[in-house]
Amino acid sequence: MSRCDFKVVLLGCEHVGKTSLVIRFVTCSFNGNAPYQNTIGAAFCAKKMYSKGRDFNVGIWDTAGSERYESMTKTYYRGTHAAIICYDPCDIYSWERLQHWMRELRIVEEDCKVYLCGTKKDIVDSGAAAREVSEETVANYSKGLNGHFLTSSKTGENVEELFQKVVDDCVADLKLMKDVEEHRRQLITIEPVKHKRFCAC
Amino acid sequence: MASTSKDNTNNCTAEQSNVTDTLEPGACSESILNPTDSFEEFASEMSSSLQDRDSSLTAKGSTISEIQSEIGESSKENAQMKNTKSSDDLQSKDGAMSASASNSNLTEQNGVDEDCDNEKDDYLQSPELVNKEKHVFILSSAGKPIYSRYGNEDKLAGLCGVIQALVSFIEEQNQDILRSINTKDCKAVFLVKGPLILVAVSKSNESETQLVLQLTYAFNQVVSMLTLTQLNRIFEQRRNYDLRRLLSGVERLIDNLLVFMEKDPAFLLGAVRCLPLPEKARENITNAIISACNKIRDLVFAIMIAGNQLITLVRMKKYTLHPSDIHLLFNLVRSSESFKTAESWTPICLPKFDATGFLHGHVSYISEDCQACLLLLTVQRDAFFPLSQAKHTIAEKLRRSNCLVAINDALNRNEELPTTNPLKHIGIPEIRHFMYKSKSTAQLFTSDPISLDRLQDYRTRHKEGGDITVKKIEKLSDIDYVRNYRKFCSQIHCTSIPAKLIFRSNSHDTVIAWVTNGFELYVTFDPLMEKDQAIRAVDRLIQWIKKEEHRIFIMNAPTF
Ligand SMILES: Nc1nc2c(ncn2[C@@H]2O[C@H](COP(=O)(O)OP(=O)(O)OP(=O)(O)O)[C@@H](O)[C@H]2O)c(=O)[nH]1
Ligand SMILES: [Mg+2]
Repeated sequence: MSRCDFKVVLLGCEHVGKTSLVIRFVTCSFNGNAPYQNTIGAAFCAKKMYSKGRDFNVGIWDTAGSERYESMTKTYYRGTHAAIICYDPCDIYSWERLQHWMRELRIVEEDCKVYLCGTKKDIVDSGAAAREVSEETVANYSKGLNGHFLTSSKTGENVEELFQKVVDDCVADLKLMKDVEEHRRQLITIEPVKHKRFCAC
Repeated sequence: MASTSKDNTNNCTAEQSNVTDTLEPGACSESILNPTDSFEEFASEMSSSLQDRDSSLTAKGSTISEIQSEIGESSKENAQMKNTKSSDDLQSKDGAMSASASNSNLTEQNGVDEDCDNEKDDYLQSPELVNKEKHVFILSSAGKPIYSRYGNEDKLAGLCGVIQALVSFIEEQNQDILRSINTKDCKAVFLVKGPLILVAVSKSNESETQLVLQLTYAFNQVVSMLTLTQLNRIFEQRRNYDLRRLLSGVERLIDNLLVFMEKDPAFLLGAVRCLPLPEKARENITNAIISACNKIRDLVFAIMIAGNQLITLVRMKKYTLHPSDIHLLFNLVRSSESFKTAESWTPICLPKFDATGFLHGHVSYISEDCQACLLLLTVQRDAFFPLSQAKHTIAEKLRRSNCLVAINDALNRNEELPTTNPLKHIGIPEIRHFMYKSKSTAQLFTSDPISLDRLQDYRTRHKEGGDITVKKIEKLSDIDYVRNYRKFCSQIHCTSIPAKLIFRSNSHDTVIAWVTNGFELYVTFDPLMEKDQAIRAVDRLIQWIKKEEHRIFIMNAPTF
């Protein structure tokens, strides 16, 4: 059983920047020189976060965007509390694919909170690449969702804010929190003491 | 086919030497690895008929579903597996054809090279493509490019069309299999596997069998990402499918695998290198894994590796791994930086173990200060958290028992270890290089244990007291020695007249290749050695390997 209170999953096309986002968030770093390597399967990370006066362990699943893993990805979003669906504003294809995950997610986990995340804000801002997805399109689309952020893993802009909002929303959700408390109680009865450091990755 | 070297090659039966009275070094009654000789397998692959080829690809029983039913996990996965299985039987499109096992080894003086010229395809003459020692192409049986080692496969559609036409022409008109085309300085080897055609065009001294072996590895690399079931199904549904859509990132794995195969004799010999460790340390590591994992019922293999070497492998009773599956795991870990930053959970298909389905792997490095990677492979797709916990328990135990230090010492080639610089330790100055395979356990030891990562010739790095300059050794690296052994290796594995002992001495060097029931040994000596002298040195070498066997090899076969 997971020792994490919240389960968050990152979805989106390959190369949109999911792994960079998680690495920025968890280790506060970005390596722009390392050549791109696609994620294999999925990677799990955890981080302790603070909200409404309490500590929470947040488990983050960084999934592979490659089509090859599409049939597997369901395994990762089962039981997830929140999903961050990423797209690259300078890549229209990544935006079009977004709807695919949205549909899938709704089938497997209809209650889960959904956030849109436009990545590589630094590139958009500098104009180094042309925006292919207009702000208006994004604004319209994200109306029914729990939030939209434009982040840069290079500068770190909005990364903390995105994850903080996810956790705050979870903590504010009474029904969800009831499950979390129940989960914590179960953990204590199943495995007494000794499990402090588990979620550090 | 026979090599026409002018060297003085001597084939004779093994001379009985005093070391073979006892068990050969590294031999062990039970093995974690499946010691089936891949050479025999590939030789049979090469003599098979069209019909054999198609039937060999239809799935046998699935080991994964066997394990699942054994541990009482008849999960949804199981049902899924059965569904897909029916569609897995490759349609026997050649059912009406009569089998013919004859070899179509076309030997043409003006082979492919000129065909290409006629095509006036400029891209084939571009610097990206010319002057390469070995090309590898993968295409679908419809002729769509999937992979090219060099250049851009998109621009090779024309070439792929020609390859496809050649292959299918021989199949349809001659009811035979196109295996190779030889030109003056170059050979092209073809392998049709399921819906894929693989081709190697090589100027190296590798034999046809060795090239087929490499192509099979490339095919298995694709299978390990998709499963054979999925691969077959895709092309049954859409013969024209562009497989590259599903193979993003796999290109890098194949690239690395091809380099790996050229450098590491483990592939040549179908064996696995082990990280040399004190027996006690290896035992502690194994026990830490067993005690952390023995309650996890669906775990099939726990494998710890570092620097393309095996540290330990714990397995479910009854199941062993084939060296080629381990090589694919080595390649995957070595090629994927992403495993270093987080715990990964990924489907992995091990083609020799079960080509029809995925195992699920928890993959992580033991700690930030130790480059050992632990793979926990299970049949249960929801097992991430128990495995993650087991991993943390194992890492903690290894740290407390100083095993991480032992692993790091071995990886960093601590000078005090006898295995760091075996030649110096053995003290037979005439020996320049050797490689030894224990056949019963499919394990390998060479005189330069981490050749792949440290390519400098350590003889020059460790030169002391001028003895190296006195002997005036040409600067050869491990790779050069391995290249040199290829020819001997194929003579030893030749199916018609296999050699048992080859002694060849010339002004460059002296080489002994010796195979017995228990081992295969290749040694390079100084030039112009006498046979007796060389045999005596080999005896001493084998005694040393015997003495160090518990450090060099994994001498037991632990289970959960
Ligand atoms: N300039 C800039 N580059 C970025 C940013 N985020 C990601 N990148 C680059 O985009 C490429 C892809 O990033 P990844 O994080 O590996 O993409 P991914 O979504 O995890 O890809 P998959 O694992 O294949 O699904 C890498 O080369 C990153 O360096 C960003 O915020 N700014
Ligand atoms: Mg990624």
